Amino acid sequence: MSQDPDAALMLAFQGGDRAAFRTLYQRYARAMVGYCHRYVKDAARAEELAQDVFLKVHASAARWTPSARFKTWLYRVATNHCLNELRRAEHQARQDGPLDEEGSPDLDALASGGPSPHQELEAGRLEAALRRVLASLPESQRAAFVLCRLEGLSYEEIAGALETSVAAVKSLIHRATVTVAAALDPAAPDLQEGRT
Amino acid sequence: VSHLGEDLTALLDGALPPARRAEAEAHLAGCDACRAERDRLAAALARLGALPPPAEPSPWFATRLEARLAELEATLPGGAPAAGRTGLLGRLSAWRWRLALPVAALGAAAGLALFTVRHQRAGRADELAVAAQLELLEDLETVRAAGDLADADEVAVVAALDELLPREGRP
Repeated sequence: MSQDPDAALMLAFQGGDRAAFRTLYQRYARAMVGYCHRYVKDAARAEELAQDVFLKVHASAARWTPSARFKTWLYRVATNHCLNELRRAEHQARQDGPLDEEGSPDLDALASGGPSPHQELEAGRLEAALRRVLASLPESQRAAFVLCRLEGLSYEEIAGALETSVAAVKSLIHRATVTVAAALDPAAPDLQEGRT
Repeated sequence: VSHLGEDLTALLDGALPPARRAEAEAHLAGCDACRAERDRLAAALARLGALPPPAEPSPWFATRLEARLAELEATLPGGAPAAGRTGLLGRLSAWRWRLALPVAALGAAAGLALFTVRHQRAGRADELAVAAQLELLEDLETVRAAGDLADADEVAVVAALDELLPREGRP
């Protein structure tokens, strides 16, 4: 597929060129760590998940064909892996009882430089509210929303990543957007939490 | 009154075909409810711009990944990753004819197992599913490593097949 800038690298890797794989993971490391972090709160765990994704890509590279755009295929592997991780974590939590409160902002992150403390706090609240509402969505809606709104994939790319139709993606994104919009309304209880 | 529904979100995302987009915009011009909904959704989406930036890979991301890749490659016969995979598949391909009989037997087992777990879905679809599973036989390691089996039933079937599959070093 000539329009896929990654196809040549994947083909080279399939031919045994290890440097081609390194180029690929360097190209997508940031995107994958960020994407995995949308599913788990812990940054170190997100990084580990992103590494898992590249290991899966490495292990199943022989099955990739240029008919599948690499980026779409990568997000498919990542989505499946992250959703599996959520299922595993939820299963574990049911056995162990709740261990972590997703609702509070990451104070370590807030302590870093950049925007003003007030902006950081608001961003942290917003992120926490988003995490809560995303966690409440069905898996397919959650994945479609994150891929669309936070990763910037097109409806067609999301359809490829989720192995569904564009019409289904349109429906998933609409339903998720309506739910998220309600939760992120400034008057919503989620965003009022923690404000004094 | 029929409102825009899913088309409203797609309109905001620029994902409607031109003709449908024109229809949706015409509807919006005359529908207070849809305009209000559009404004509410647009405001919420705009708020996402205030989210903290996505997490960055740590400085040791590449080092750790390389170490894990090295571990993975060490488990693959043949050394280099892609070559290892190709080699594995190549060996499986070369073994295909020598394994024809056992594979056929395993195929029958796969068919039986799939028939058992999917007994409500008999017919042509099952035959195709069995054929697909036979393809998996040629690449079980990859399938298991990829972790993309569809459901617990398939995992159970492949696990059972894995036990039956002839393998180097296995009696």
